[in-house]
Amino acid sequence: MDMPGDQSVAAKAAWPLIWPRKLNQIPKEVFVSPGLFEAELKTIFHGDIWHPVAHAAELPNPGDFKTFSLGRTPLLITRGADGKINVLVNSCTHRGTQVEMCAAGNRKEFECPYHRWAFEISGELIGCPGMSEFSPDFDKSRYGLARLRSAEFLGVVFATMGDNTPALAQWLGEDMIRAMKVILGDGRLKLLGYQKVRYQVNWKAYNDNDGYHAGLLHTAFRLLNWQGGKGAQFMTENGHMSIMAELQPLRNVGFLKDPSLITFKGQDPAKRASVLELFPIGVMVKHLDTINIRFAIAHSHDCTEVHYAYFAHQDDDEEMLRHRTRQASNLLGPCGMISMEDASIFQRIHIGSFSPGVAEFQKGVKDPYALPVDVAQNDETGQLPKWEYYRRLMNFQRAEI
Amino acid sequence: MAVAAHILAAVDHLNLRYIQALDDLSMEGWLNSFSPAADSAYVCISEENDRRGLPLALMLDDCRARLEDRVTFVTKIWAGTFQPYRTRHFVQRLACEAREEGLCQAVSNFSVTLIQEDGTARLLTTGVYQDVISLTEAGAFIKTRRAVYDANVLPQYFVYPI
Repeated sequence: MDMPGDQSVAAKAAWPLIWPRKLNQIPKEVFVSPGLFEAELKTIFHGDIWHPVAHAAELPNPGDFKTFSLGRTPLLITRGADGKINVLVNSCTHRGTQVEMCAAGNRKEFECPYHRWAFEISGELIGCPGMSEFSPDFDKSRYGLARLRSAEFLGVVFATMGDNTPALAQWLGEDMIRAMKVILGDGRLKLLGYQKVRYQVNWKAYNDNDGYHAGLLHTAFRLLNWQGGKGAQFMTENGHMSIMAELQPLRNVGFLKDPSLITFKGQDPAKRASVLELFPIGVMVKHLDTINIRFAIAHSHDCTEVHYAYFAHQDDDEEMLRHRTRQASNLLGPCGMISMEDASIFQRIHIGSFSPGVAEFQKGVKDPYALPVDVAQNDETGQLPKWEYYRRLMNFQRAEI
Repeated sequence: MAVAAHILAAVDHLNLRYIQALDDLSMEGWLNSFSPAADSAYVCISEENDRRGLPLALMLDDCRARLEDRVTFVTKIWAGTFQPYRTRHFVQRLACEAREEGLCQAVSNFSVTLIQEDGTARLLTTGVYQDVISLTEAGAFIKTRRAVYDANVLPQYFVYPI
């Protein structure tokens, strides 16, 4: 496929890092380099790649907005009077002042406080004081808030700053579209709330969760007999991967006094758990009845902010809403019963990566010089196509021997 | 209606027992701050979710069995996995009102400092406890505590309740 590699010539010049010849080895330097992060901002976060920035259920009504960031670029995501979602740059087109300060809310219009330029919810410039004395070629219609190209699938709003980003469906691919359908159903969701946290970790380590660790790091998985092994991983050559786990029936071995928390009220046992990792840091998870989209912001080489957003379905009755709320609150977040351990290793990966050498992938590797073909649910080789995509994108050369 | 001095003293004593238990990393002591009733509850929720009426919490223990399960997770299941840390809690009662017999409602500010192994301290968050407190001959106990924390984006994950 087309690689937007031309943009990263600068990266190559600045980072003469030689990548190991084996595909299962990753130089640890890529996790701790501030300069490399600047190149990644340009090539990946502001390049020809789609980034999930919101779900329509976060902005149910006209005038609703949320602020977010794409790398360091501040975004203002709004639902206009016409019901359409706009992904705008949260920066006044006059002098660049941040327009909206709140994390979320509802407005009739946006006003920059500096010189009182006013903007429609959908971004167009309404007017500015003293406009009759502006330069003769000032054209109001050209001064709306800058707009990112955006596209929506199952309510998830994707945005891109690149000029040559392929169509969303092509970028996702069939396997990821299928995974999104398993996780989000028909996409008619209702927002339950957020857990937001900053991790002291590089974004590439944050989104490197493999199938191998699940039953090992997460003790509760073992205790609850959730260590299935049936299921599969799917990868795309542009860095996405999904795990569809067919978990064993739940068996509370007696250590939980309130097993009602982890009951599964859904219909299809084969779909008890799915994880989708979209390149670079978009994560969606469905576990039991918990529906979770993790909107992440790569702030710097050593800080990744994650907004865990949880959803119910619009057709849920009161009992299901309550069930999803108590399960989602306790299962998958930074303090969740089966996910706290992920949070606990992020910073340890970061600290440990300030050391020479490579990070290794072993479980499931049949040929270290080739990309994996079949990846079982508990293999860690599902990450390798993503790393190869990243290497090519950033233009790192492999060692000859 | 004014609240009798001995009730205020009992509520303050409860708050101090509670923060002492957490600063001692004693999950048993934390659990013992709650009423033994089956419906005693602890909810730790962000200010943003609380303000916007979003029900999702960071920790949601809506019955005594859930409180006990949280103790099991912190002391047994997660033992040795999370990075060791301790805390200093500070609590300040703002309001206390009598409710029906044997119950009062209280609001207190709190702040939590998180201290790493090497002694480095940082503010984890501040917030407000919104409580319904059960007054018994054996002392005051939490019937429900809603800890609404201000750090809508938490500076790091944590494991112990606050």
